[in-house]
Amino acid sequence: MSRFARTRSDISPATRPDAARADPPEPERGFADDAGRPKPEDRHAGAGTAASLAGDDLRSSDRAMRLLIIEDDRTAADYLAKAFKEVGHIADLAGDGEDGLAQAESGAYDILIVDRMLPRMDGLTMIGRLREQGIQTPALILSALGQVDDRVKGLRAGGDDYLAKPYAFAELLARVEVLARRSQNGGGGRNEEMVYRVGDLELDRLSHRVTRGGEEVILQPREFRLLEYLMKHAGQVVTRTMLLENVWDYHFDPQTNVIDVHVSRLRSKIDKGFEQALLHTVRGAGYMIRDER
Amino acid sequence: MSDSTAIVRTSLGAAPALLPEGPRRRGPAAMAAGAEQPGRWRSALSSIGKLARTTVFKLTLVYLTVFALFAVLLLGYFAWTTQRLITDQIVATVDAEITGLAEQYRQGGIRRLVIAVDNRSRRAGSNIYLLTTFNGQVLSGNIGSLPSGTMANTGWVETAYNRLDEQDTGAHFALARVFQLPGGFRLMVGRDLEERARLNQVIWSAGRWSAAIVVVLGLAGGFFLTRRVLKRVDAMTDTTRTIMTGDLSGRLPVSGTGDELDRLAENLNSMLERIEALMHGLKEVSDNIAHDLRTPLTRLRNRSEEALRSARSEPEYRAALESTIEESDGLIRTFNALLMIARAESGQARANMSDFDAADSVRDIAELYEPLAEDQGLTLRVEAGAEALVHGNRELLSQALANLLDNAIKYTVPPPLAGDDRVLPDILVKAAVEGERVVLSVGDRGPGIPPEDRSRAVERFVRLEESRSAPGSGLGLSLAAAVARLHGGELMLADNGPGLNASLVLPRAVAGAAAGADSSL
Repeated sequence: MSRFARTRSDISPATRPDAARADPPEPERGFADDAGRPKPEDRHAGAGTAASLAGDDLRSSDRAMRLLIIEDDRTAADYLAKAFKEVGHIADLAGDGEDGLAQAESGAYDILIVDRMLPRMDGLTMIGRLREQGIQTPALILSALGQVDDRVKGLRAGGDDYLAKPYAFAELLARVEVLARRSQNGGGGRNEEMVYRVGDLELDRLSHRVTRGGEEVILQPREFRLLEYLMKHAGQVVTRTMLLENVWDYHFDPQTNVIDVHVSRLRSKIDKGFEQALLHTVRGAGYMIRDER
Repeated sequence: MSDSTAIVRTSLGAAPALLPEGPRRRGPAAMAAGAEQPGRWRSALSSIGKLARTTVFKLTLVYLTVFALFAVLLLGYFAWTTQRLITDQIVATVDAEITGLAEQYRQGGIRRLVIAVDNRSRRAGSNIYLLTTFNGQVLSGNIGSLPSGTMANTGWVETAYNRLDEQDTGAHFALARVFQLPGGFRLMVGRDLEERARLNQVIWSAGRWSAAIVVVLGLAGGFFLTRRVLKRVDAMTDTTRTIMTGDLSGRLPVSGTGDELDRLAENLNSMLERIEALMHGLKEVSDNIAHDLRTPLTRLRNRSEEALRSARSEPEYRAALESTIEESDGLIRTFNALLMIARAESGQARANMSDFDAADSVRDIAELYEPLAEDQGLTLRVEAGAEALVHGNRELLSQALANLLDNAIKYTVPPPLAGDDRVLPDILVKAAVEGERVVLSVGDRGPGIPPEDRSRAVERFVRLEESRSAPGSGLGLSLAAAVARLHGGELMLADNGPGLNASLVLPRAVAGAAAGADSSL
């Protein structure tokens, strides 16, 4: 959560995100190897390299996305647009529901970020209209109403994900990228695969068998689901809240870092004793499973 | 109602305006009398105006009208029937006379008839007779004068007449029958109608009087009834006005008769009680928010100021910003918890409740927290075998359980010699069915809560002094308690000897009961 402020303040003209992306990330800086709580010395690391890494850490998709942000609060919208640009995406703005609908109809966007309460046409109605016209651009609803039933209402109206305000930018970015990837794969993609592979780690969804380098890894049912979700989104940042929602089906804040403990247990089972770590902690955002080579 | 309120307002408003003008125009004494007189009139007028506008008064008027109409109809019918009866009697008497005279005529012809009429005419009574020749010459009878032409037609006739033996010349009326006899003779036999007229008069005067009495009594009764009701309504209006100005402790007067007004007053009173409780809760919440959100907000502000003032290097700024974000995340968390409590307490979450196995939730939550407990060197055991069906909101109940478990882990200090020699687990999570109740409990081996502090611990933001140092919003137990209340149960805190046993005691849902209830609706 604290990562975004850093991201923003870190991007100086000298270290443009585009330039930064060209460099390969340095694992020992970008990814913490322990349970995800960065050490103090890590936090205050030198601005230059850490900054470019932070940008790259957060952005996990390979290509730039075109986003449409439909939000009536101009300050918040500008802030979001700027933040998305800093990580290399392109963001357009619309100030109300009708403009948003018109732009979403005409422009080819990878994803829509829709505020729920908008002037002229509320966000849910807008998404409903789009879906009626057969436009399936994934939409993430931002709302001050964060209760479970509000969320259900939003998803039922045609939204693909729901995020309550206030949110951390890292959280929003991770969700947006997962949504965009899902739609790029035509809704199927990785979902259809029976075996997930990251490096020498394999997960067979049918037989529930997990192997690393050919050796079987014994996982508890929940650990299996956790790994399955992470591997489904391999190469993408997955936040703690996303894990809590998708693996445990809880939508509340557990206050304590329970998820971190689960992930570190999983990590000890799949990464321990291997030279190459696959399950990485993305500071301030969440986790990512990927093969660095 | 609103009209009468407006009237009172204007009359109250007018009074001060009247007073200052008085002394300038007239003497103080004149002013006193003068100001009082119009005031009284005004208040009388306004009370009449108020009276005229009340529903009760209008209803009284309608009833009065209907009642009077019925009285008039009844009286009219009575008069009509009586009149018919009397007329029938007269006709019968006249017919009897005619039968007698006809007998005489048959026996002795016109001569005998003349004698018979003459005889009968001399008798006192109200029968009248007249026998004339074809040219109208009177042969016998007791009629002095008749309007001309009365004898011209045969049959029944109602006519004015004068008797021969009477001195007064006042008009009398009679019902008579005229016959044509052979030889041009005409006979009229009739009976005076004075009796009927007198009766009519009696009836009509009785009608007038009773109508007057009906109207007077109806009006007076209506007025007093209205006054009585109005007074109570006015008392209620006055009380509500004081309540509206902010004194929520006021209650409407209840007379104890259990009538409609009493029921209304009782309902309004219970509504007021609810409002007062809600207001009290709101005040408490806002006080607590003020208290417990201000502290971190102040910290946040101070830290930012401090950074602006003294930070030199970028790492220092970074550290300050990071702690600022951490602090604001804590604030958001507290805020979310408060909203969640408010939602649970207002009963909004009741809309999407369903039947589910609480034992399942207990196992899931325990599974979520088990690694954390283990990390802290604590053993956690779950006893949730049998199905424990409850009707509720799974998400909220899970969160309540998570809070209890989180507390248990937070406050339990792992024993110094960890090992397998421990018989009891440090934390025991249980789901059990006890009769009609489902008990979900979390027992720990922590310091516990002294009995005298237990009820206070459930209150919002209360963190017992010993626990001030542990992190948390202090809302965990309050949320658990609110969730328990939402589900019609309660949160019980008990001694775990040693430690705390916190349990959510909820009503057990009977399988299929909800479906049955739904279908019966």
